[in-house]
Amino acid sequence: MPTLGRFRRELRWRFWSVPVEREVDSELAFHLEMRIRELVEQGMTLDDARVAALERFGDVDRITEACRDIGRRRNKDMRRAEWLTELRHDLRYAVRGLRASPGFTAVAVLTLAMGIGASTTIFSVANAVLLRPFPYHEPKRIVRLYETNPTTDLFSVSEPNYLDWLQRVRGLSQMAAFTGGNLTLLGDGDPEELSAMAATPSLFPLLGVRPLIGRVFREEESKPGAPARVILFSYAFWQTRFGADPQVVGRTVNLNGTSYEVIGVMPPEFVFPGNPALWEPLAPSATLSRGETPRGDRRLAVLGRLAPNVTIARALDELKSVARDLARQYPETNRGWGANVTSLEEWLIGDELRTRVQVLLVAVGLLLAMGCVNVANLLLARATARQREMSVRAALGAGRGRIVRQLLTESLVLAAIGAALGVALTVVAVPILRDVGQTAIPRLDELDIDWQVVAFGIVASVVTGILFGIAPALQASRADLNDVLRSGGRVAAASRLRSILIVTSVALALVLLVGAGLVGRSFERLMRVDYGFRAEGVFTASVTLPVERYRQRAKLAAFYAEVARRLSTTRGIRAVGFTNIAPFSGGSTAIQFTVAGRQAARADEYLSAHWRLVTPGYFPAIGVALKKGRLIAESDGAEAPRVVVITETMARQIWPGMDPVGQQIKLGGNDGPTWTVVGIVGDIRDQLLQQEPQPMMYLSFQQLAWQTMWLIVRGTGDPLALAPVVRREIHAIDPLMPVANEQPLERFVSAIAAQPRFTTLIFALFASAALVLAVVGVYGIVAYGVTQRTREFGVRLALGATPSRIVMSVVRYGVGLAGFGIAIGLWAAYALSRFVQGILYEVTATDAVTYLAVAALLVGCAAAASILPARWAARLDPVRALRDD
Amino acid sequence: MAEETELLHGTLDTLILKTLSWGPRHGYGIARWIQDTTDDALEIGEGSLYPALYRMERKGWIEAERGVSETGREVKFYSLTTQGRARLKVELAQWTRFTTAVSKVLYERR
Repeated sequence: MPTLGRFRRELRWRFWSVPVEREVDSELAFHLEMRIRELVEQGMTLDDARVAALERFGDVDRITEACRDIGRRRNKDMRRAEWLTELRHDLRYAVRGLRASPGFTAVAVLTLAMGIGASTTIFSVANAVLLRPFPYHEPKRIVRLYETNPTTDLFSVSEPNYLDWLQRVRGLSQMAAFTGGNLTLLGDGDPEELSAMAATPSLFPLLGVRPLIGRVFREEESKPGAPARVILFSYAFWQTRFGADPQVVGRTVNLNGTSYEVIGVMPPEFVFPGNPALWEPLAPSATLSRGETPRGDRRLAVLGRLAPNVTIARALDELKSVARDLARQYPETNRGWGANVTSLEEWLIGDELRTRVQVLLVAVGLLLAMGCVNVANLLLARATARQREMSVRAALGAGRGRIVRQLLTESLVLAAIGAALGVALTVVAVPILRDVGQTAIPRLDELDIDWQVVAFGIVASVVTGILFGIAPALQASRADLNDVLRSGGRVAAASRLRSILIVTSVALALVLLVGAGLVGRSFERLMRVDYGFRAEGVFTASVTLPVERYRQRAKLAAFYAEVARRLSTTRGIRAVGFTNIAPFSGGSTAIQFTVAGRQAARADEYLSAHWRLVTPGYFPAIGVALKKGRLIAESDGAEAPRVVVITETMARQIWPGMDPVGQQIKLGGNDGPTWTVVGIVGDIRDQLLQQEPQPMMYLSFQQLAWQTMWLIVRGTGDPLALAPVVRREIHAIDPLMPVANEQPLERFVSAIAAQPRFTTLIFALFASAALVLAVVGVYGIVAYGVTQRTREFGVRLALGATPSRIVMSVVRYGVGLAGFGIAIGLWAAYALSRFVQGILYEVTATDAVTYLAVAALLVGCAAAASILPARWAARLDPVRALRDD
Repeated sequence: MAEETELLHGTLDTLILKTLSWGPRHGYGIARWIQDTTDDALEIGEGSLYPALYRMERKGWIEAERGVSETGREVKFYSLTTQGRARLKVELAQWTRFTTAVSKVLYERR
């Protein structure tokens, strides 16, 4: 008997609204009174009866207290039960209401799921990339140190300079240097080339990282110029190559033909740029080591830890002053060189990526806001349509608070379902994003769903639920009872609020679409960039010649020449070349120089250009054309005159309006050796797609050779099919030579575009979602408006209005609303434009074409969304429209 | 909270439930009924009736409604709920089992 039960509960509720103290007191008083009266009737005097009654009763105070105590707890239980009952009631009512209008529910839930799913997903990306601290001790106090020259603020550091900094800089409590390289593991199988990092022993304490097993380097293992032959394994390398053997510490491994003692394994959570498999000690030295001036040989990456209470700015000031002293002391190598300090974050993440993620966060906020606005709108439409129902409920005695609570419950139920779906979307999307983006974005391989993200989703959904629940609830509770009952539910105030919401939604969509349009256009430009070489059909691999067997330059050059000779006569291969830096492989080499005859007065007047070592076959292999003079030739031997081939940009910059061929330059500076320009070739971009070609020169591999070179092979078919051929020919010359990084050159090119591609993809997704939301929103309000104005259309049709006029007026209404939103959106997008400029390429953030195209698109969509309800209005049967209400 | 009653623990609840099974009564009515039918078992510590009533009300065995007493005062009238009726049945069965067992021990001859 549910109705009766409910009725009784309410009665009891009224009863308990008497304070429990009064309830107990009056009950006990009544008892005593009755007892006394009885005793008096039996013949006792009033006083005696009073005493007897109390005696019979027991300790009144204690019993009163006991009753009050239980009564209070009883009331609390009841209130809770009451609350739960009402909640269950509200929930059941909400679910029933939502099930009654499945179309509304589906659209609202999907809208929310889209907003919440997208926001939690992007939030987890931001979390992985930006918010989560680096897994080092106090990462905010770690800084990266650079040398600077007039052309760059981010140059590596030379060993003697590092040692001097170490001694002189007080603002840094710790300093460490490292440099990447390769080591070849020689053992049972094919020789394997491994990425290795040489680091000073101070690196691990500076980062605050301890080994998983064994130990890290000791100070005495990096005696200047003589690093000890000890090695640390990365966790991954230990797992894959040594099967996580705990006995590995103390064993020896053969690297580059030398035996190294394994001293430890790093923990799995230890990440470091470049993900080296091996760590060896670095032993910076102040004296000559490679027969060059070590102070001018800048190769070290340097990290420091700020001393307590020292800011980056103060450390920078001090480092700069030390650099000035060094420049005075060693003018030959240090004149014109300064120093620079950046945060760890700036080094590892970089400005552009930070901007990208922040723009994404803003975009996701906009989408979430759109979701809220749209759902609020839907709920409002529903609330208006149900105003009569609400009024009836109010008339039957439902309190205003009760109605508001009911509507809030409904929106919270919607939010909960939306959140559940949204989190499910995140669970699906996060692994996909990780796989797609991890090569493009540092730290994204750590992307995972964690409690922070889930908490964000829950908060987002609850806030959304309350936000979009409140407007319709207030609207419904404010509506004047009589008004609503009399006028049959046509209330104008609601439609104004709804119009504002739709205008907002369209404006938000426009901002998102403009953002996506700009990012998309800039990506398209980026994809069409001519990087100056032809990557299709090119196979590339790196070879590292062991120092032990290939020490002399002649021997190195002979090996490269022999490989090129053998491969170029192989079927299916058109051209073969070597270079020290493959395009877009991440490496770069630059040097300062002066033009002979134009002595620079000061070091900061030195010119700077990239340089690459090449074999003669490199140019046809990579697809760079000769413009003037000649290419590097076999005849440019070690004893022949030193020659360079320069790019057009370098020619234009250094010898404007002159013929560079035959000109001479001095590499390194005024006193450097003289090189003669013999030819000009086309420009290439090989660092970043969006960076204009830099001045570059090509040097003969016989006149300067590196231990590690990239092999560039142009074939006639699938580049990867060349891999076994290349291996076979190289091993025919030297069976112990490792071949690494075998891949089509195109992979480097596509990897360099991965970050913009990732952003573009996400923006495209956002923009489509926003467009769908905007269209649904416009459709919703127009369709609703039509149902509300059925009678009016009926009258107009009856009075002879043509259907096309009706269609026009409805469409004009929809497009007019959208137009408002578009105008506001254009203004907002313009105001926000400077935030995206940082991630755009060759497109300005205020690009008129994009703005106009997006505005036109939205007008078109708004018109399309209005036409369906408009035609429906035009097809109304006037008679029925007037009869029904 | 020890109750001042000579009665066996728990029997007060049973007595109240039994009393209310005849119809709604106020607190004093219950006390009178117990007094009359048990030859005044509650002579001392009659007040302990009330904490028991509040406790049973909280448990949902009995419920209270407002009513007017024979003297014209507004008082609480207690009545059994469905739950309380079921509880009474259980307690009666337990009581019977208990007394049978005890009488067997006390009076059965070997």
